[in-house]
This record gives sequence, C-alpha cells and structure tokens, in this order.
Amino acid sequence: MIATMVETKELLETVLASLLAGVGVTTIFSVAIWGGARFADLNRGGRPLAAGAAAALGGLALLATVAAVVVGILVMTSK
Amino acid sequence: MNSDIILVIVVGTALAFDFTNGFHDTANVVATSISTGAARPRVAIGIASLLNFVGAFISISVAATVANDVVDASVITPTIVFAGLIGAIAWNLITWWFGLPSSSSHALIGGVVGSAVAAAGLDAVFAEGLVGKVLVPAVVAPIVAFTVAGIGIGLAYRIVGRQRPGPVTRGFRYGQIVSGGLLALAHGTNDAQKTMGVITLALIANGTLAADADPPTWVIVSAATAIALGTYFGGWRIIRTTGSRIIKMDAAQGFSAQGAGAAVILSSTHFGFPLSTTHVINGGVMGAGAAKRVSAVRWGVAGNIVFAWLLTLPAAAAIGAAVYGLTRIFGTGALGPVLVTLMALALVAAAFARRSQQTAPVPAGSG
Repeated sequence: MIATMVETKELLETVLASLLAGVGVTTIFSVAIWGGARFADLNRGGRPLAAGAAAALGGLALLATVAAVVVGILVMTSK
Repeated sequence: MNSDIILVIVVGTALAFDFTNGFHDTANVVATSISTGAARPRVAIGIASLLNFVGAFISISVAATVANDVVDASVITPTIVFAGLIGAIAWNLITWWFGLPSSSSHALIGGVVGSAVAAAGLDAVFAEGLVGKVLVPAVVAPIVAFTVAGIGIGLAYRIVGRQRPGPVTRGFRYGQIVSGGLLALAHGTNDAQKTMGVITLALIANGTLAADADPPTWVIVSAATAIALGTYFGGWRIIRTTGSRIIKMDAAQGFSAQGAGAAVILSSTHFGFPLSTTHVINGGVMGAGAAKRVSAVRWGVAGNIVFAWLLTLPAAAAIGAAVYGLTRIFGTGALGPVLVTLMALALVAAAFARRSQQTAPVPAGSG
C-alpha cells in the first residue's frame, strides 16, 4: 500500500541528483584545492612548469565548481 | 467579519511560526561554518539571513504541496490552520528549550494534520500526500545526506590527503562560505514555502483564493521577511548542539556536510517535497563525521536528536488537536483564536523571561 503512495520516480531522481551534485561538487572543489596547494609547493621547489600545470588544473576545477553550483541552482529551482 | 478576524490571526500566527522556524533553524544553516572557523558568527548569521530571504523567492513547489496535497482544503477552516500553527510553534519552543534540533517543518505539518483530524476526522487528511510527499522523504532525505556527505568527504580526503594541511584547510574554509550560503538559500527555498503554503491554505479555506491558487506576492514577501528576521535573531543554544556536540569537524567535513545538505534540499524542493532541513543537515554532519571515524560521532547526542525527530510529528499533531479542542470551547467565532493567542503569547513571554534569567551573566564579585 505504501509503495503505491510513494512518488518513486521523483524520489529516485531526487536521490540521484543529490548524489551527483553533492559528491560531484565536493570532489571537483577538492581537485581545485589540490591544484592550489600543489602549485604553491612546486613553485617553491623551482618547478614552474609542473606548478603551472597544477594551477591550470586547479583553476579549471574551480571554474567547474562555480559552473556546477550555478547550473544546479537553476535546474533545481526551475519548474 | 468573524472569519476575517480569524484570518488576520492565522496570517499573524503563520508569520510568527515562520520567524520561530528561522530562529530555530539558524543553527542548521550556520553551525558548521562557525564550528570550523570558516566564518565569524555575526557574519555567518547575516549572510544566512539574507540568503534565506532570497531563497524564499525561487520556487513555490513546496508551498503547493503544503496547500493542496496534505490535507483536504475543502474541509479546512482558518481555525483549523490556526490550531495547527499553535501546535507547531509550541513544539518548536519546547525543543528550543531543551536545545534539541527537531524539525520545524514536521512540527508544522504534524500540527495542521492533528487539528484537521480533530476537526473533521481522518478523511480530512490525504494519506497519499502525507506518506508520499512528507513521511517517506523524511526518512530518505537524512540517509541520502549522510551517504552523500560520507562519500564526498572520503573522496576529498583521498584527493587532498597528502597536501600540507594549512592551504587545504584555508581552501575548504573559503569553500564553506559558498556551501554555507547555498545551504541558507536552500533552507529559505524549502522552509519559507511551508509558511506560504499554510497561509495560502487559510486564504483558500476563507474563500479569499481559488482552490488551486498559487501564493500571492504579499504572502511570499512576508514569509521571506519573517524567516530572514528569525534566522538573524536565531538560537545560539541549538548552534552548540549541531556545531560541536555531534562531532568535532574540520573544514573539509564542514564543506562536505553543507554541500550534501544543500544538494538534498534543493533537489527535493524541485519536486515539491517539504523536507526537514534540520534532519538533512544533521544527516550530512553525521555522514561527514562517520566517514572519517565512526567513533568521532557522539552517537548519544545523535540518538537524542533522532528521538526528537521521531516525536515531532505525533507531538505537534497532539498539541494541534488539543488547541483545536480548546478553541472550540469558545464557539466557532473569533473569540477562541483570540484567547488562545493571548494565552500562547503569555506562555512564550514567560518562557523567554525564565530563559533569560537562567542565562543572565553572573555579576562581577559574586563568587
């Protein structure tokens, strides 16, 4: 009886969207922080090329985080 | 004339509830940022208030659920809505008194369901809406938040684990300003809508609005303002419970918990599920703690919170039903709601006076 009352499709979509958004944003933001931290270390260690690569990856991840947040808000709140 | 007086009282009570909702839930929104040092309390609360206000404007799906899918609007009267609101406010204040982060949303829905059943019997409640849109999401959402925060922090530790802790902590603290803001926005989106839904339900019951009407603009603006003000003046007592008594968090855990909470609340809002933001953020906090070390979570405190969660719907329903009975002693006019409002105000004033006496600073030299 309860199974017929539950809006299974909506509930599953909610769970999936939460997993993707929550885990995804935390992961890509962690990559951004990794990039920033590596950039500082590698730069200090005199490896500017590797530092640049780490900074670029971190920067891209930061942009991706911002984009994910903005798109997430727009999608979640549009109906 | 009588029904208009009752409607005014209902709108005032609903906005008072919205204020207590913000007041009660401030902790959920800002505690993690404060406890990890990501933001100073005043700043965190100021931002949270502003974003709660903004969040109230970005969706009306949850308001529609509360107004149309939980109780049968055709048998609801403004007095029933009033009694439900008093039940919810009373339960919010009781849990505030004991420092328990229970759910304002479930208190509201419980209160309205209780008073509706007392007034019109079980047929007044849409079992499908109550189970499918409230009870099942109530169970699922904190588990999802727990899981999302747990997986998120696990991956985050794998990615940044070998880096120097200084830059990593600083980075996640900056991130927490955004994740905390998102959580406040999500809170405003989901919670302010419940008040909008209840006021809309009262307006429909009074014949002021058509049965399938959306909340009018003045309802949205006033609900947004009330929850923002409530958040600004929010409860420090509960901040301590959520922020440090469940687990001692680092900035990465705070980011993961807030991100999980915001993701779950915003996705649920999209489908019109009136979630408990309290349950969700506490689920996220516990998930972020347990992923690092299961024993890091103070399960005794977590157990008290779960106990309050389980009690909220039936307790608020019982108070809502009792308030409806009390109101009807004075007939069907405005006298009952007026007297109950005065009694409620007197009780609230007494509770605040007693609380401020208990927390008053000890004068210098008194020992």
